[in-house]
Amino acid sequence: MTTADPHTTSPGVVSARGVVKRYGRTVALGGLDAEIGPGITGLLGSNGAGKTTFLSLVLGLRSRNEGTLVVLGEDPATAGIDVRARIGYAPEHHELPTELAAADFVRHLAEMHLLPPRAAVQRANDALWLVGLGEERFRPVGTMSTGQRQRVKLAAAIAHDPELVLLDEPTDGLDPVQRTEMLALIRRVGKEFGMHIVISSHHLEEVERICDAVVIVEGGTVVRAGALADLRRGPDGLVVEVDDCAEELAALLAERGLDVSVEGDVVLVAGGADGHDAVRDAVADLGVGLRRLAPRGRTLEDVYLGADA
Amino acid sequence: MSADQGARLFDLGYRGYEGPRRRPASAILTLGVFTVRRVLGLGRGARHKVLPAITLVIAYAPALVSVGFAALVDPLPVDDLITYGEYTFFIGSALALFAALVAPEALCPDRRSGMLGLYLAGPLDRTRYLLAKGGAVLAVMLTITLGPLLFMLAAFVIAGYGPTARETPGLVLEILASGVATAALYASVSMAVASFTTRRAVAAVAVVLLLLVPAIVARSAIESADAPDALDLLSAPFVASELSYRIFGEASGAEEPIGRLSTWVVAGGLVAWTLAASAVCWARYRRIEADR
Repeated sequence: MTTADPHTTSPGVVSARGVVKRYGRTVALGGLDAEIGPGITGLLGSNGAGKTTFLSLVLGLRSRNEGTLVVLGEDPATAGIDVRARIGYAPEHHELPTELAAADFVRHLAEMHLLPPRAAVQRANDALWLVGLGEERFRPVGTMSTGQRQRVKLAAAIAHDPELVLLDEPTDGLDPVQRTEMLALIRRVGKEFGMHIVISSHHLEEVERICDAVVIVEGGTVVRAGALADLRRGPDGLVVEVDDCAEELAALLAERGLDVSVEGDVVLVAGGADGHDAVRDAVADLGVGLRRLAPRGRTLEDVYLGADA
Repeated sequence: MSADQGARLFDLGYRGYEGPRRRPASAILTLGVFTVRRVLGLGRGARHKVLPAITLVIAYAPALVSVGFAALVDPLPVDDLITYGEYTFFIGSALALFAALVAPEALCPDRRSGMLGLYLAGPLDRTRYLLAKGGAVLAVMLTITLGPLLFMLAAFVIAGYGPTARETPGLVLEILASGVATAALYASVSMAVASFTTRRAVAAVAVVLLLLVPAIVARSAIESADAPDALDLLSAPFVASELSYRIFGEASGAEEPIGRLSTWVVAGGLVAWTLAASAVCWARYRRIEADR
């Protein structure tokens, strides 16, 4: 299964075809196909699904057994150094050199990504200000909270202005407020600074909040992928939820020529937007309380679980 | 200042970078320099400078004493001064201490703190990473295998006790050969040991043990069990100091088992130690997972 951002005709950022990766007898990726386009893409999957292995292959840190993989137009297995120079990476783990000041850490990694020393200093400062650690940038990383370390990792990943940023569980260990701030920051980096971002995560709601597209990996293969808007689009029609009278409402709507079905307290109305008026009138005629009237669609959880509601 | 005076505030903030970028090979130099600074405690707290400073003092002390003699004592008791060939033997403890300090500090924290994964996620591969680290460790070891001898040579030349102008280039080459060979041996051995653990202290102790224990075992076996003299080659410090004697045309004495071996055998021992230790380190790093 493949997908690309439908809003652009730019070439794919990452293109995988039949990628197989084995560790001894264990198959970590079993013929993975994925097309990651520009924008922010969520790489979803449970622990052990193959997300980290896929990121390792994208970075060229491991070699695949079969298949083709193109990242930013190059094969990371043969042009790993050139590809990695254009990528920013924030790993999942929080262990960082404790005694280094955040500014020194980010500057050093910017230099390692081939920025001249003076530019690396400037960029490190800019990136740390961007992530909200401008005032704290001379503090040793070891004295920082988990939330601050996540920000330091993000700053280090973007300081050299990469074309592609890989973020492995960027909200791991954050409280709800910090998580919201981090997601907003990632969204801003992806939208305002033109970097393509791939977020590896197992949190559906955060992927749903900021990503343009999603690739769902399970058991080493892609089970669903596509632009988030496309994936969440369900069949035409309405979802109606009323107080206690779902059967009566469904019967009345059916009597008036609408194609309806009942699932518990929910009435599903097929058809176009013209159903709104019919539902309104039927609810008024029955004199029941209307709890919900919404277009039929799917949440990312429905997509993840393979539901076709 | 009011707006009509033409003052404007610019919030430049974070922007894309369109400036020059260096070649990928420069990452090796960047990491090498960073490692040298880290190992020597430069840009770090005072406690990180103590051990390197003590080791440097121990390593340079014989040279300083010799130069002091040359400056203060007249006539100079030339026979009592330390020779170039003897120097590696005299600073054996400093070499062991430095080897136990340098490579563990250069390698272990990167694996412990996850920096190895971040480095390898950039424009470096494992070979280039090891080149950078190996270069840094070698450079730091050279400060004590090469530095004191060059200092001594310069001081003796200035004081008028040195070699003649005609002899000087040859002596400089001998100093370079001895210094580089010794540094390469100690650097590779300590890196090999440090590649097995993420804990600096464990690596440091293991380096010292690897340098000392084989020497004790070899000498015991030779003296008490009539084992062959070549068993001395199991001791890296014996090999390094003996080769230094040979490079400078001096003799350690036939009473030493290793002194009875040919120069080619001793040189082969040093090359074998260096290559084997380098291979062990390289093989270890090929297997280390850097993406977890």
